[in-house]
Amino acid sequence: MSQTTLFEQHFWKESNRNLDYYLQSMNGYQAAQKVLKEMTPDQVIDEVKKGNLRGRGGAGFPMGMKWSFIPKNSEKPKYLVCNADESEPGTCKDRQIIRYTPHLLIEGLIIGSFAIGCKHAYVYIRGEYVREANLLNAAIDEAYAKGYLGKNIFGSGYDLDITVHRGAGAYICGEETGLLNSLEGKRGEPRVKPPFPAVSGAFGCPTAVNNVESIANVPHLIRMGGDTFAQLGKVDKSGGTRLISLSGHVKKPGVFEIQAGSMTLRQIIENLGGGIINDKKLKAVIPGGSSSPILTADEIDVVYDVEPLMKVGTMMGSAAIMVIHEDTDLVKLLLRITKFYAHESCGQCTPCREGCHWMESILHKIVHHEAKPSDLDLLNDVAQNIGGKTLCALGDAAAGPVISFLKKFKPEFEAYIKGQNKYA
Amino acid sequence: MPKCTIDGKEIEVKPGENLITVAKRAGVDIPVFCYHPGLTVVAQCRMCYVEVEKMPKLQTACSTMAAEGMVVKTQSDPVVKGRAGTMEFLLLNHPLDCPICDKAGECDLQDNSYGHGSAYMRHSEERRTYVDVDMGPVIEKNMNRCIHCTRCIRFGEEVAGIHEMVAIKRGNNIDITTIDGNPLKTEYAGNYADICPTGSLTLRDFRFRKRAWMLKKTATVCEGCSKGCNMEIQHEGNVIYRCVPRENLEINKHWMCDEGRFNYHYTQDPTRVLTPRSGEATIGWENAIQNLKDLTDGKKITFLVGSDLTQEELATVQEYINAYQKGSSIHHFGTDGVSESVDDGQADKILKMKSKTSNLSGAEKLGIKSISHLKTATDVVVVIRGGRADLNVALKQVQGKKLIGMGVFLEKEISTFSLVLPGLAFTEKEGTIINHAGIEQKIKRAIVPKNTVKAVSEVLMLAANKKAKEAVV
Amino acid sequence: MEKHLSDKFYVAMKKLEPRYPNKKALILPALHQAQEEFGWLPKEALEEVAEYIGVHPAQIREVASFYTMYNLKPVGKNHLKICTNVACCLRGADELMNFAEKKLGIKCGESTSDGLFSLSEEECLGACTTAPAMMANDDYIEELDVNKLNEYIEKMKVLK
Repeated sequence: MSQTTLFEQHFWKESNRNLDYYLQSMNGYQAAQKVLKEMTPDQVIDEVKKGNLRGRGGAGFPMGMKWSFIPKNSEKPKYLVCNADESEPGTCKDRQIIRYTPHLLIEGLIIGSFAIGCKHAYVYIRGEYVREANLLNAAIDEAYAKGYLGKNIFGSGYDLDITVHRGAGAYICGEETGLLNSLEGKRGEPRVKPPFPAVSGAFGCPTAVNNVESIANVPHLIRMGGDTFAQLGKVDKSGGTRLISLSGHVKKPGVFEIQAGSMTLRQIIENLGGGIINDKKLKAVIPGGSSSPILTADEIDVVYDVEPLMKVGTMMGSAAIMVIHEDTDLVKLLLRITKFYAHESCGQCTPCREGCHWMESILHKIVHHEAKPSDLDLLNDVAQNIGGKTLCALGDAAAGPVISFLKKFKPEFEAYIKGQNKYA
Repeated sequence: MPKCTIDGKEIEVKPGENLITVAKRAGVDIPVFCYHPGLTVVAQCRMCYVEVEKMPKLQTACSTMAAEGMVVKTQSDPVVKGRAGTMEFLLLNHPLDCPICDKAGECDLQDNSYGHGSAYMRHSEERRTYVDVDMGPVIEKNMNRCIHCTRCIRFGEEVAGIHEMVAIKRGNNIDITTIDGNPLKTEYAGNYADICPTGSLTLRDFRFRKRAWMLKKTATVCEGCSKGCNMEIQHEGNVIYRCVPRENLEINKHWMCDEGRFNYHYTQDPTRVLTPRSGEATIGWENAIQNLKDLTDGKKITFLVGSDLTQEELATVQEYINAYQKGSSIHHFGTDGVSESVDDGQADKILKMKSKTSNLSGAEKLGIKSISHLKTATDVVVVIRGGRADLNVALKQVQGKKLIGMGVFLEKEISTFSLVLPGLAFTEKEGTIINHAGIEQKIKRAIVPKNTVKAVSEVLMLAANKKAKEAVV
Repeated sequence: MEKHLSDKFYVAMKKLEPRYPNKKALILPALHQAQEEFGWLPKEALEEVAEYIGVHPAQIREVASFYTMYNLKPVGKNHLKICTNVACCLRGADELMNFAEKKLGIKCGESTSDGLFSLSEEECLGACTTAPAMMANDDYIEELDVNKLNEYIEKMKVLK
């Protein structure tokens, strides 16, 4: 099918990031004007709910619902915090939005802030995106200069400031409460929930935390109306389009946009990615960022969206697909993934702090042919003792790959234990 | 009142109560490490797992508020496996050096391991080790034993008000420490040892002196200031080894200051005067009482009583004066700069009060006036104190007078005294004290005093008897 | 206290202060700004940041040590951070790391004795579709290969 896209046609050209382009070619700031002048916050939230806009950060939580949790009568200030930490390995879509359509994000922040009653929105951007933070700040300056930010926006009486807050190198700050701690100048350690951010988030105030792509979709949704936006999605409960980061062993890696649920994983790899490099055989796919359970080459005829992927025991996460061909040593790859989670564990929860490092040690032994056959069961059991046992999802993220690799590619691990390694 | 069910027992819950508190009331013990009733809840040790009906995963009891109709299981298979998993993780890097660890016998890690852990170890990798920093005179640090519960960090920040204990780095590499090898500055450092659930932070003063399980415990009240913090004297063989705070949510919550904690040392000081003295000479009690009678009989005397004495002691002195030393005066003394309770107040934002004696309010309640009201002292002055009241405050008012001392003194304090009648320290007697807020509390005897010292009441009774006998003759 | 941070630091902070409801939220921006002045965060800078924010120096250290981008030790003038996470690893990052180690004569995590280069392994940089990627100071270099890496190092050697 031919794809309707909302973002991709504006990507890859640097001049598109300017305000002029946004105003002329993307109907820039019209949705915000309409919202501020003609709609009530509740109407905005209802429209977003109608559009079936799910969070694009990883959890896939319906965005309108998230906004509706913000208490309306609270005396405290309310905050909209945009999660631009983009830390899940494999993901680099939000970066393109910031680079090429920053005003879309700003407009989304205006609409979202209005919907929840926020007067100061923050964009928490990963520390490594130095250039992107500068680009975003430049766009924000442009918006201030035009009166799209600051006092009395569009003469509506509504005020909004936006501040870009840079992270400093911690995967865990992509977790929303870790992010909030980091925003407050603390270690990026996830918080105990409840209270949820909607009640007590940034600086102890009601807060909505939304991913860049989620927020950048809002102006589109308002412009076309929730119903039309919802219809872009080709599966239940998912509206709009999805930006996919396709990496690994494909001929044409890149960020692509598809209508939600309109393609299978195989179609994405073959049609968008151009198939496997050097025409090798496909071995496995990590479908939603490195924390999503791995799929074998036989399991990819699945519609690429939240619910269908959940049904096959994995997840869409941040829509980061990593394609793996036949010459890849999955044992070493799992060691690499596990090392990452051990490195990024904040260290609060016992199972994650101790267990991730232990899993890394066991995998290290396996890779160096020092492991016993029973170590595979041990590894699996350690992963089970981490999964579902921690404050935040990092524990699950670390356990998921281990459990799924062992389940689906056990012979490769057994070969190592027997002293064999066909990839050496 | 709403009710929930824990292990089949129905129990009433108050709003805002977590499952640990409710379970405790139901007689169900939930193992914890990071949870402490006096600190914020962080739910990070992952030991207090429980299963709550209709919730998909195991929940941590510390962070789960009890609610109407909640059905909680604390002994189900997933809970048992979850706790065993946590215990295994916690012991991966623990040195298991219990035989030489001061915490042994009162260690949460040991107890929870015994209750919920496995006898078999599956971990064969090298253990994580640290080089420890010197944390100053109060606390000995052993990071290898640490289980990262962060109670100490939270105590520093939330109670002691100083963010000096911190977690450096992250994940498996975290070091919980002061920075740059700085010693702890807080005057509440002893609490670090109390709240540490392992032997990672231990009290230097107590180190290698006694095994925890040999200690007898006497619940009493600290005499260090007018706060009246509840504490426990831990002793064995008539020797005190340490004092630790006792929970009293109204007064000191779970804490006490270092000054109060280590205050007991003077009672065991080798230079404490334990036999009656006449000038430099050691004398027997018979002579001592005779001397007292000779020096005071038929005279008007200035009595100076420490506000560190108990209500019972102070009242006895008052009665004695009424009966046998008519026309004598009585004034209390205690802390330089705090002559009356209106001068008293918080000395810091935590527990310490300005009055360094425990019973200022009590002395005032008995109608005794402060030494600041004393105009001229008589030729003979009787100073009675427990050991805390500042002697300088008393002595600067009565210079050049003949001094008789009763109570607790060190050698260096008695050079100006003509007669010293050694008495009981707060650890050796029972009685009542009234704190700054008017709360009456009992102190309890932990130590049997030496037979060469006598209570104030006994001394005064013997003196009275002697007077009575001689009057008959 | 002797000042080590420049006026530029204080001017930048003054500008940011009204953007946050409390001063503690300025810790991360302040550390970034301080690091810009020294290339790393010496003890004196950390202490001055603590004084500026109004917190115990230990609190600054615990925050700074949590994040990998704050250098608590000096680094070379050119800090090469090669991503070796999954997407980059699938596209040959390990080979690049080996090459860089050989070319610079140091191990990952070390600096050259002339202070010109530091080499470290980086976790996912968020440039997975243009893997392998590395960060050279504040810049990303993407679709990296041995030739490109070699060229970059040579260029930096000449520039000094």
